[in-house]
Amino acid sequence: MKSKIANDLDELLTANVINQEVKENIMQYYLHKKDAQPNRLFAIFGVLGSLLVGLGIILILAHNWDDFPRSVKTIWAFVPLVIGQMFVGYTLLKNRKPAWKETAATFLFFGIGASISLVSQVYNIKGEMSSFLLTWIVLAIPLIYLMKSYAVTLLHLLFATIYACNLGYFNSDIPWDYVLLILAVLPVYLGRLKTMPKANTTVILHWLFPLSVLISLGNFISGNDSLGFVLYILLFSIFYNIGKLSYFKNASLRGNGYLILGSVGTIITLLITSFSWVWDEFHFSNYTTQDYAITIVLVIIVVGLIANMFRASTLKEFNLFQFAGLIFTGIYISNATLVGLSPLLINLLIIALGIIAIVIGAKRNKYSILNYGLVIITALITCRFFDTNISFIVRGLLFMVIGAGFFGANYFMYRKQSQLQSQLKLKEDE
Amino acid sequence: MNKIIIILVFGVMVLAQLFVPGNMIYQQEAVLTEGTAYKFKTRPIDPTDPLRGKYIFLDYQMNFVAANNDSISYGDTIYVYIENDENGFAVATKASKTPLDTEQDFIVTTATNSYDDSVHFNLPFNVFYMEESKAYEAEVYVREANRDADLENCYGLVYIKGDKAVLNDVIVNDISIKDYVLQERLD
Repeated sequence: MKSKIANDLDELLTANVINQEVKENIMQYYLHKKDAQPNRLFAIFGVLGSLLVGLGIILILAHNWDDFPRSVKTIWAFVPLVIGQMFVGYTLLKNRKPAWKETAATFLFFGIGASISLVSQVYNIKGEMSSFLLTWIVLAIPLIYLMKSYAVTLLHLLFATIYACNLGYFNSDIPWDYVLLILAVLPVYLGRLKTMPKANTTVILHWLFPLSVLISLGNFISGNDSLGFVLYILLFSIFYNIGKLSYFKNASLRGNGYLILGSVGTIITLLITSFSWVWDEFHFSNYTTQDYAITIVLVIIVVGLIANMFRASTLKEFNLFQFAGLIFTGIYISNATLVGLSPLLINLLIIALGIIAIVIGAKRNKYSILNYGLVIITALITCRFFDTNISFIVRGLLFMVIGAGFFGANYFMYRKQSQLQSQLKLKEDE
Repeated sequence: MNKIIIILVFGVMVLAQLFVPGNMIYQQEAVLTEGTAYKFKTRPIDPTDPLRGKYIFLDYQMNFVAANNDSISYGDTIYVYIENDENGFAVATKASKTPLDTEQDFIVTTATNSYDDSVHFNLPFNVFYMEESKAYEAEVYVREANRDADLENCYGLVYIKGDKAVLNDVIVNDISIKDYVLQERLD
């Protein structure tokens, strides 16, 4: 069967866009590229196979075989672990291909879990799920570095997040170890940013790292739930500003998880706090030292990121999204002196953000950003729909205005792009 | 990475991964072979653990001790001292926030409540793993036996050594609950 590239090349050859020599050269290039690539498919299926076999072993052991005496069950506990270690040792010493390493590392990862859970089962050790997960994750960390295993890095992130949630959301303890677990894989992430910035595997980490931190942040709020909004919006600001770093300058929107999570998260948090009753429910007391410490650390990171961009002159045009977290924090802190004006200020902030997104979209000729700005304003108006003290006529008119705005703005963009294209064509003709 | 460093790190990792379950086994075996056996009256309930399978949760009768100790409050780690009664079952005699200077065996647990004259707690060895088909039946058979007044005894056999306690078996009418389920199935 012919590949898509071969078909395309045939088409280009028939249309006289390329000649036979160019076609051959392109074919050679892709053939060579294919040979040089590690067998990705083999790696994916290897990892999937290990994952399923590992989980299968855990489930089979969970049957709790009564027919075996304790000594036999204890030996069984070590079988998946030792097989995994031998597999890893073999691939490491023989320096096998990455696909082998990924498969072996994933198998050993589950071997560790199977071994600890079977011993717990044999001796009826109740044990907390969180301490079990922590031991498992820590024992598997060397695999990430020794085997350079991407699959174990992903599993590490997933299990560290589950650990943080298990400890924080279900046991009301603060999962400080989560911070160490994240720091433990940070060098791998930073290394990938340098060595393979364009790889899909790195792009996935641009999403998973912030997602893991986002899910786990709630576990660090101790004394005052209202402060959660401040912490979350500051975190979203950090994400947004990371997404604005020069490193992501040429990245596609899909490849910049930080920017999307930061922007959407900021808007959602602001929309929630745009209701006046939310501010009525807020408690501006009972903060713990830990609450202050985390807030200050987050503020310092946001300010640091913005200052760094300012210093590096990458902060060319003013973008309110980068400052939204700090503005919200300011409003939250000075709520007492604002005498009920906080919700109004938040509403104004959302409108400003929406308008700025529309302006940026129009400037850069990007429908996505332009419509995002319109969606922000529509969402704000929809939220105000629930505030019953606004008359139906006003609400109806607002919706009509925003609907007309959607048509108008997109038509304006369409006209602008058409003009640009015709200008380009004229230049080419000349 | 240098090959020697790789081998060294690999060796340390392998040893650490073997040490953790190995040490768990060693500690539990030490209690089972050198510890003192106690019987704790109980009732089983059956829940599930996603990774470790089916188990019965043991609802022990012993869940408080008369104590005149105002300093103990909810969440405190406490030392509950035990001895055998005239029927050979464990009873709690006193509780303290710090270890007492006595030869008496004790259980380390957490206070769940504290009134003027009593301290409440849950015994920590309340999970007994069973073959998946037997856990639910164990709960049902014991409940039915109790209802029909056929239940002579139901207790957890626990070995205690120092601050460690290992639940060795759950005994129903003088046989292991695993065998009791099989016997009831035949009946």
